[in-house]
This record gives sequence, structure tokens and C-alpha cells, in this order.
Amino acid sequence: MPLFKTFKITQPKEYYEKFLEKDVRPDNRELGEFRPTVLNIGCVTTAEGSSLVKLGNTSVICGIKAEVAEPASDGKKGYLVPNVELPPLCSTNFKPGPPSELAQVLSQNMVDFLTDSKCVRLEDLCIVPGKLVWSLYIDLVCLDFDGNVMDACTLALMAALRNTLLPVVTVDEDSGEITTDVSIHQKLSISKCPVSTSFIIFDKKILLVDPTSEEEDLATGALTIITEGDNLCSIYKPGGTPLTDTQMKTCIDRAFLRGREAERLIEELIDK
Amino acid sequence: MAAAFIVVRKEDLEAQQNAESCQTLRCLTSELGCLTRSDGSVSFSQGDTTVLAVSYGPAEVRINQEQYDKATVEVVYKPKVGLPRPIDRKREAILKSTLEAAIVTSLHPRSSISIIIQETEDLGSNMACCINAACLALLDAAVHMAFMVAAVAVSVMEDGQIKLDPNKKEELEGRATLTFVFDSADLKVVSVVTSGTFSQEEYKKSIDLTRLAAERVFQFYRDSLSKKLMQSI
Amino acid sequence: MRETPLSNCEREFILKCIAQHKRLDGRSAYDYRDIRIAFGVSLGCCHVELGKTRVLAQVSCEVGQPKQTRPHDGVLFVNVEMSPMACPSFEAGRQSEEGVELSRLMERCLKESRCMDLESLCIVAGEKAWHIRVDIHVLNHEGNILDCASIAAISALAHFRRPDVTVQGEEIRIHSMEDRTPVPLSIHHFPLLVSFTFFSQGKHMLVDPSEKEEKVMEGKMVIGMNKHREICTLQVTGQMLLLKEQVLRCSNIAVTKVTVITELIFQALENDKQARLKGEKHGFAELVSGEKITSNKQPVTDVPVSQAMEESEEDGSSSMDSDSEESESFTQHASEERKVEILAKGVGMIGDGGPSKWIDLTCDDDHAESKKSTKFKPELIELDGESSEEECQVVLDAS
Repeated sequence: MPLFKTFKITQPKEYYEKFLEKDVRPDNRELGEFRPTVLNIGCVTTAEGSSLVKLGNTSVICGIKAEVAEPASDGKKGYLVPNVELPPLCSTNFKPGPPSELAQVLSQNMVDFLTDSKCVRLEDLCIVPGKLVWSLYIDLVCLDFDGNVMDACTLALMAALRNTLLPVVTVDEDSGEITTDVSIHQKLSISKCPVSTSFIIFDKKILLVDPTSEEEDLATGALTIITEGDNLCSIYKPGGTPLTDTQMKTCIDRAFLRGREAERLIEELIDK
Repeated sequence: MAAAFIVVRKEDLEAQQNAESCQTLRCLTSELGCLTRSDGSVSFSQGDTTVLAVSYGPAEVRINQEQYDKATVEVVYKPKVGLPRPIDRKREAILKSTLEAAIVTSLHPRSSISIIIQETEDLGSNMACCINAACLALLDAAVHMAFMVAAVAVSVMEDGQIKLDPNKKEELEGRATLTFVFDSADLKVVSVVTSGTFSQEEYKKSIDLTRLAAERVFQFYRDSLSKKLMQSI
Repeated sequence: MRETPLSNCEREFILKCIAQHKRLDGRSAYDYRDIRIAFGVSLGCCHVELGKTRVLAQVSCEVGQPKQTRPHDGVLFVNVEMSPMACPSFEAGRQSEEGVELSRLMERCLKESRCMDLESLCIVAGEKAWHIRVDIHVLNHEGNILDCASIAAISALAHFRRPDVTVQGEEIRIHSMEDRTPVPLSIHHFPLLVSFTFFSQGKHMLVDPSEKEEKVMEGKMVIGMNKHREICTLQVTGQMLLLKEQVLRCSNIAVTKVTVITELIFQALENDKQARLKGEKHGFAELVSGEKITSNKQPVTDVPVSQAMEESEEDGSSSMDSDSEESESFTQHASEERKVEILAKGVGMIGDGGPSKWIDLTCDDDHAESKKSTKFKPELIELDGESSEEECQVVLDAS
């Protein structure tokens, strides 16, 4: 085994420090640089909407299935049901069986992402008030887990929502029969494009954007910022090393830049 | 599934509203050592929001959770109604990593420090109340901590007005709710949890306001503990 | 965490005391510890202290389908949570044997005694009915959780109010709190559980056992009874045989205990009602008095807004100068207007840092090449290593 690999395995933190003191990361990235983001829209033909996101080696596939459902008692709101799966195939850290704690927290993060940003109005999912609404099952499956799954998931989720086509459903008033016209499709109206940017704190002082899973393991803290246009949708820093205001500001500024970049990526792809 | 109703009378919500004008931190109360079976326990309330928190440890750890270089921090959050939902799991995750930052875990390798939090009354700023109660429970159990943590929430109303330590009504009406956690050493930001959308300006205002309020919470910790410990001299 | 077992020494001591009609806490055999009943701000939330034993009960409701076998009835669901808060040996999320026994007895006490009129919970027969849920949380285990839990549960049910409902044709309207005053549940009677513990072949009997007494007891009898002297449940567990007279004597004791406790519940409910009517402060926060040395109270404090604003302005200006350098290096890379590369139909890429097994990055993009070359190569770093042997090997490896 080459020596630098041994060094990396035995003393991962020192290995990283050697790079970071020169303001570069072992994979040739600068501290504030994202990995190449590849987005493929509409890759699953059986789903109403789908996308595949590759963020460096991390990849997440998202499929949206639409089902007709009965609304809750007050009537007009549809359902959005996101679920994040981390199957054993994506990393050795996960075992088959019920969802891990991380998967549960990620699923909840997706729910919060949708509700905080209000990118889909639940009233838009109504077919017949009080009778029929759309229920969108959003399944996010991680295929390769190499850090920053949060950003990959949110990007895949947004791209898939933009790509979603719903068939036109009509209800016969007399017989109450439901007919679905598959030949005509309607796009989901989505006005906003929230984007998340994740950071980690290395060795209690250095901020890194878009961490790989190696970097996540060494992190002493994490931070996720979701931006939408000029507004903030969420700042999520669960514990870890305390940050100063200026450090927070730096992260927010970086998140806005990433937000514009990712928005452009989705816009241009949808346009083509 | 339809959401379960917990009924709070309108008058009670309004009474809350009237008692507190704009930028005030609600009345804080604590009772340390209120439960007998745990190493540290506290009943803590901010206004009418009340939680119970207990801590055990450092104690024996389950073998699959053992860490050779530090103590394992476990957090259990018990909602008042029903079984824990994914949202409570997230809450546990936030609490766990916040407290992990505060506790000097390297002092107790191969052991566990567990914190159990019971929601007793959620009438606004529940998350902040949980974090403050957990910190007091750890202080009561005399667990080694690098710094204390204090959490304060604000709500951003529709018109951009910011309300400190919101009650349930303000939380529901507001456009966004931000909860900040500060450390006692340099008042840096340990955790941030937000919901809803807000601007950078509003964020800046909120963080400055909550930082001032956090100092009051730290003062409250000191008062509570010194009052308890005074007697033994 | 495992439970600390009781030592033989302690066990024998307690038994010896009981044989001499003495108890560790100075009570006589038929005495209950002090009972304190408190209600929360939300309706149907009750907190009961029995000595140091504490239980919290919360009642909630939702609209659901009635059971198919009983289409005209609402549903009552009882859930007992033995939180690790109460005792380190309780595990979160897993029901222990003790927990199962407890929930079963509570169910028998509340459901099978038919103390609640379930028919009044029906909204549309066979389709919609109220589901009432009682969550009982054991907060502190100092013995006799059962009696404490039954007081908490029935008080919470009596304190609870559900939203009013009207049915017009097919439409069901659930009125909000502002719309109509919420309605109480109709409760016929208040069944309460009283436990009796037996020692030395049933020779000695104690009411309201403490945690240590429960550990050394031989057997237990639980009587569920209301103040009309009707027995709702009766259960005997443990390895002992009881005489008819003993059972009768216990039921007679239960009568007096139940009457006293029921009175106490009514009084607590009345006090809470009066406090609410007068608009006085109520709820758990008010229970904590600032007088004890363990408790503390900080009144409502003002946080000066103007000061916060000033500080923020100062911060704003100073931070601009101090961190501009750092933030620049952090963001400069992203600030270049990056182009979106369209790789195929529906496939686009942005950014070029770091490796990816998905795409070939050795593209002929000059821009990317030049940037790469200025970057740090990993093997150069290794040259800083201490031994010369290391250096050689790394360099060789790199070439």
C-alpha cells in the first residue's frame, strides 16, 4: 500500500490537516467548492416525475408517484409524502431492516423542506373539493452514499417536482365515477426553487462546503442552509462546534451563491 | 390520519397573550431534583410551557453503543400524546448533538449519559424549553460540561415584526419561528433550528435579540443552582 | 440500565418491621401517602403525586371510524408509557411485563367498568365517532404506580372537553373553540384502583406500598371500585392464598379509601374550574413555589430591543472588515458565472471540483485543466514527512 494511503487510514485527521493548512482538500477541491453536480431529469418513465442527482459520487434517485386520495375533513388540501431510503447498497454503514435513525431524520428534513418553503401549494393538489385530492408519494433512494445526501436529496426532489406531470381526472357528477384521461397531462405549478447547501466544521475551526462521507465522519459540527431566491427557508445547525456570527454570515453568503447556481441548473435543463 | 386534538381554551390562550407584551422573556421557573429515581432532574417552565427533564450517568452503556474514547449521549423525547413520530426523532437528534457539544464526553469513555425529556405542556417555544431543561438537568446531576447552553426562540410575524419567546398563538400565526442555542463561554451559536421563510435582515435581528435574552437564561441557571447549593454550606 | 437489586439485609429488615406493624416511612398499615392532584393549562391534562410517585395523564380526541362490531359507540383507548424517567430499569419504546400488566389493569378499570358513555361519542352511526385516547406517563416510580395512574386517568377524563360537532345531512362540522364551548365527556362513575400488598403468607397486609415494599411483597390484590361501593375489577397476583375474610376486609378498606379520593378529585376539579373562571393563573408552572431552595422563579424580564439593534449595527460594520478576506476565499470559487453543461437530453452538469466516478472529468476543457494544475497535488504534501524513507517511497509512487 502506498504510504500516503496508510497515513490516511491510520491518522485521517492529521492527513486532512496537512491539506487544509494549504487551503485545499484531498480531492483537489477548494474549501468552498462543490463537487460536480450532474442532474438527469425524467429518468424513470413509470413515475409521474423523476430525477437523478449525482453530487460527486453521492447519487440520489427520486421518483414521484401520484395517487388519488380522499382529503382530510376540511377538504381542499392534497398530500405530499416524502420518504428517504438509505438501502444497504449505498454504504456499508446501513443494514437491511427498518429505516435507520439517519433515514428518519432525513425524511423529516424533507417534510420540513416542503412545508417551510411552501414550494407546492397543497391546495393545488385538489381535484374535487372535499372529495378527491392528489397524494404525491415522493420516494428518494440513495444509490451511493458519499456525503452530503441532504443537498442531493433536496435537489432531486425539486427537479422531480418540476418534472411531474399529472393526468387529468374528471368525476361524473351523477354516477360519481372517476375517469382518468392519460392523454392530457398537467404540470404541477411550482413557483419557488429552494436549494440547500450543507457545510461541516472541521477541527472546530475550518468550514468545508459539500462534505464527502470521509469529511462528515471527521466533522465536529454540521450546518445546512436552505435558500429560496433572496430569502432563507431554513438554517439547520444541530449542535456541534459553536460558530461566530461572521462564520454564519460567510456560510449564508455561500449558500445564496449555490442557490443561484443550482436554480440555473434546473431552469436550463427544464427549458431544453 | 387526522391530527389529534388537544384542547386549549381560547381564554387561556388570550390570557397568555395579554400577560406578555412585545419583547419580553416569559417567566422562568425551575424545580431541581423534583424526581427521586434519577441522578439529576428538573421541572422547567417558560411561561406556561412546561417540560420535565432527567439525566442519568455517567453509567453503564449498552455494548453495541459503546465508544472507546468518549461517553455515549442518549436522548429520549417523550411526546405527551401518542407514540414518538419522525418529528420527535428529529427533535431528539437536535437535542443529542447540542448536548454532545456541551458535555465533556471524553472524560467518561465507555459509559453512557442519558437524558429523558417529557413534554408536559406545549404552549410555545417548546424546543427552546426542552434544551434549557436538559441543560439544567445535567447541571443538577453535576455532569462535566464544557459550557452551558441556553435556547431562545423568536417568531417572525407576517408584517416582519419579531417576537421574542413566542407563545403558541404567535407561533401559529407567525411566518417563521427561529430557535437559537448559545454557549455560555463566548455566546457563539451552538444550534439553529428554523421553520418558515425569513429574510437575512430578520435573521440578523433575531440572533441579536436572542443573544441578549440568552444571557438572562444563563443568569437564571446560576441563580437556581446557587440557591440550591447555598444551603449545604 | 439494570435495576439495583435489594440486599438480603434490607429485605429482612423491611419484613421484620412489617411484622412489628411498622413501616419505613412511619405510616400505619392502612395509610395512603399524600395525594396532590393538579391540572394543566390544556384541558384533560392531569398530574398526580402520590407521595413521591408521579403520574401524568393526557386525554386527546380525534374523529375516526367506530369499531365494526359496535357501530354506535365511540372508542376509548388507554396507553400506559413507562418512561425511563421513572426508573432507570424501564426502557424507552419497549413494554416490560410490568408495563403490560399495568396497561391491562387500567383498561379493565376504565373500559370494562363502562364508566364512560361511549354512545354519546358517536357522530354518524357506523361511519364517524370520536376516538378518545388516554396517555398515561409514569414520571417517577416510588411504588404503587397503579393507584396513582388510575386517579390521574379518571381525573383527566373528567377534566377533558372535546370540540362540539354538528351533523347536517352528510356534512359534519367540527366547531372550533371560538365557535362553540367544548363539551365534557359523560362519565357515569369514577372507578379507582386500590392495591393491597401481602407479606408472610398473607399474615400482614399494607395499603399503598412504597417501591421497596413492592420488592419484598409476596402477593398483591387490586380492587377497582367506585364510590357507590361497586366493584369493577378484582385481581389477585403472587404466590399466596387468601381467606374469604381477608378479601372482604380489603374491600371494606377500599370503600373508605375510594370515597376519600373521589372527594379529593371533585375538589381539585372544582378548584381548577374556579381558578379558570376568575382568570387566575393556573397550570403546572404555577405549582412551583419560589420558596423551596430547589426551586427558582424569574419573573417576566424585558429584553431591551434598542440595545440589540445598536449592537447589530456595530457588528455589521466591524464584521465587514474583519472577515472579508476569509469569506472571499470561501466564495470566490462559486462567484464565477459557471455554465451549465448539457451532456445529453435531460442531463446537465455544473461545477468541476473533486472526483466523481460517474463522469469522466478529464475533459478537454482548458479552463478546468489550468485550474487543476495550479492546485496542490497530494504527493507534494507527503514530502513534509519526517523520515527520508517515506519521501522516496511516496515520490516513487507518484511517478
